[in-house]
Amino acid sequence: MSIKSINGCIGCEECIKSCPTDVIRLNPDSKKAEILYPEDCQICHLCRMYCPVDAITISPEKTIPVIVSWG
Amino acid sequence: MKKQNEKQEMSRRKFISLAGGAAASLAAMSAMGMPLDWALNNTGIDVESLDVNKISTDVLVIGSGMAGLFAAVKAHDAGAKVLMVSKGRLGASGQTPFAKGIFAFDPEKEDLSLDEFVVKVSRSALGTNNNAYTKQMAQHSLARVIELKEWGFFDSSLYNKSFSKPIVERNITVQERITITHLIKENDKVVGAAGFSIDEQKVLFYEAKSVILCTGAGGFKPNGFPICDLTHDGTIMAYNIGAKVTGKEWNDGHPGKSENVAACYDGWGDMFEQKPSTTGVEIRHDLGVDMNYVAYNNGSPLKMGPPGSGEQTKVSGGPYTPEEFMRHNDTPPGGKEGGRPPKGGKGGPPKGGKGEGAPPGMGGSIVGGSSAGMSIHKSEGLVPINDQCESTIPGLYAAGDALGSYMAGAIYTQIGSSLAGSAVQGGVAGEAAAKYCKNINSIKISTSKMKEIEEEILAPLKLEAGYSPAWVTQTLQGIMIPNFIIYIKKENLLKAALAYVEELRDHHIPMLRASNMHELRLAHETKNMIISAEMKLKASIMRTESRCSHYRLDYPELDNENWQVWLNIFKGEDDTMQFEKQPFNTWPV
Amino acid sequence: MKKEHYIFKLIALILAFIGMPVLLYFQGDFPKRSFLMQTLSLITILGFTLLLSQFFTSRLNKTLVKKIRMVNVLAIHKFIGYLFISILLLHPFFIIVPKFFDNGVTPTHAFIRIITTFSSLGIILGLIAYTSMLVLLITSFFRFKLHLKYKTWRNLHGYLTLLFVVAATWHVVNIGRHSNTSFSIYYVLMVASGIYYLLKTYLFKTSKK
Repeated sequence: MSIKSINGCIGCEECIKSCPTDVIRLNPDSKKAEILYPEDCQICHLCRMYCPVDAITISPEKTIPVIVSWG
Repeated sequence: MKKQNEKQEMSRRKFISLAGGAAASLAAMSAMGMPLDWALNNTGIDVESLDVNKISTDVLVIGSGMAGLFAAVKAHDAGAKVLMVSKGRLGASGQTPFAKGIFAFDPEKEDLSLDEFVVKVSRSALGTNNNAYTKQMAQHSLARVIELKEWGFFDSSLYNKSFSKPIVERNITVQERITITHLIKENDKVVGAAGFSIDEQKVLFYEAKSVILCTGAGGFKPNGFPICDLTHDGTIMAYNIGAKVTGKEWNDGHPGKSENVAACYDGWGDMFEQKPSTTGVEIRHDLGVDMNYVAYNNGSPLKMGPPGSGEQTKVSGGPYTPEEFMRHNDTPPGGKEGGRPPKGGKGGPPKGGKGEGAPPGMGGSIVGGSSAGMSIHKSEGLVPINDQCESTIPGLYAAGDALGSYMAGAIYTQIGSSLAGSAVQGGVAGEAAAKYCKNINSIKISTSKMKEIEEEILAPLKLEAGYSPAWVTQTLQGIMIPNFIIYIKKENLLKAALAYVEELRDHHIPMLRASNMHELRLAHETKNMIISAEMKLKASIMRTESRCSHYRLDYPELDNENWQVWLNIFKGEDDTMQFEKQPFNTWPV
Repeated sequence: MKKEHYIFKLIALILAFIGMPVLLYFQGDFPKRSFLMQTLSLITILGFTLLLSQFFTSRLNKTLVKKIRMVNVLAIHKFIGYLFISILLLHPFFIIVPKFFDNGVTPTHAFIRIITTFSSLGIILGLIAYTSMLVLLITSFFRFKLHLKYKTWRNLHGYLTLLFVVAATWHVVNIGRHSNTSFSIYYVLMVASGIYYLLKTYLFKTSKK
């Protein structure tokens, strides 16, 4: 499941900016980072390393998309 | 029965065409109870009211990795007004954040002279390297490393802070999270670029006297290598306005860990957590497709073990390594320094690196294709017309992995030279671009051109139905990544794959849809990957020999008579892909 | 008999303010972190729940005052007060502890990033709470040097506590790493009953006197 959870986010946007593949976005209501496109996570851990409050949990597993004929 | 169905089908089509338009046809289909989720493109964006901005500058630097940093700094120091745009963040996008070793050629400390160094690299690269760029890299590497040291580059595993230092000091504007999709040419000169912001829902035009592409290399968003944000954007944009590009037949042969293949952080042990360090002269012939050849013959699992453990799988034949660079009783390429895959040209693990985590393959097995779609660093990209990083289009420069400088050749030679080369070339391109700007008075992007480009950028958002970029990418990966297509090549299979890729190019590119800015970026990336795949296949079919990281099962030998040449690719008058040979160590005519 | 009741009274408080958060902590589905960080997290949570327990180790807790003498209640109140304040004073620094063990963002850089994220409501509330906590600490410590009338002192202490507790709780619920639904409900319940007792005592009991 690649990037798994964000706990204790303070909304500083460091992870959002440092994610190379635009997986994380700021939730406009809660003003906190949320994992919006986990399927694009390349499990590089930059977000976690840039996070000042150590809020991000990442797992090495990734679910591979199901093969379909068109989509 | 079948006939009846056909008849129904016909009448349905007729009805749709009579009703007119896609919306009506969707309505008709949903009325018939067909599931439509796959097709309905519910954009949460009002495409018609998107903002359009235009910004002017002297030098536009696209990309914010190592090459972009020096391009911006040196162009500024040479007196140009500089603007940097990046798809990601300064020092945190592309491959730069993961490169931990940088080569510094210190003449005082090395046994080899500068010229001897170049000759040795050339021997390992079987002549594929460009001597001018190999020498330039070594010559300027120490100076760039010293500057990096001043900015604090070696003090942290994360580079945003140290990269920001010279940029902030010089007051250089940096725009982050901007996807550039188009280069703009007027009267045969480059006049700027265009793209969009993924945060602000804006189409952006940049009017620039000169553009430096520091857009890095790319791949097919493979699993296990941190290049999923790199899709050869710079190369394809430049190709689209007529620039020559090169090096598509070569391959970076990095393996990945078979357990949790997609986890590139874990695959590299804790290397991403390390501070960078410098490397001295150490020339190899590494990380081509040797392992792919072994796997092709023996299948999985492919063993990698510590030196002398005898755990490595061995086969006869395969890619040729010059005797001088054979590493006997050693781990296979990708196994030195505790067995984790060396970062190859891109730095290599810090020498004698400490605190290494579990390396891939230690007691486990490895899989191929972790960097699928990427060539050897700096072997692919824009064709330079001189040693100033200038492309075949006036005003357009490229540096680092976006430039097909053949600095290392078509195989990894000097450890750590890729990161050093990006720094050096960035600096060279920055100065050259600033100089070029001084002779350019005014530039203007015509309104008609802006309209046309805006239309192209937003097309995926306007489609009511189409194909999702994720699905098209997945399909492309299925076509390109297998070992017997991209690595261990033979003509009939390359042609078979090409047929698929051409289908994606002709039928799927125009139908890539996006429902938000994230998907819009994916749509443009997918388009670039498809064109890049076409280049890779055609170049691979054309080069009927085996050399360095290009291996043909049907032409396994080196062919020095016909193939001491680089293969250039460009768009012909009729928009088709054209190829030309350029002899090694010459400049294009 | 009297002694038994005294222990029983305290056991109720211990269960409510130590047992309950520990239970919730281990019940919750939180990502596993290093032993050091998990310990620091638990200490911080207990620091906060001890703060909440302060409502009930004061004059407001009529039953407790009756059972054990006011002097003892005050001693407990003071002890817990200095304990939780020490924890909560340090807790912003607990967060940056991992930064001492890696090569990335420096602890200083991380700390500055945290306390200057003014776009975050949680951070603003945290800064307010932290400041009011400092004032509470200083005024309590120098209580007798301030030469205030008892009633003025009590109002200052009580209402400042009110501001502090509201800001702190909101801060915790907003950006607490472990503030899931159960923790949040628990916090809000405890604070609500505490404030209810406080206001009941201050606004009604005093006017009757």
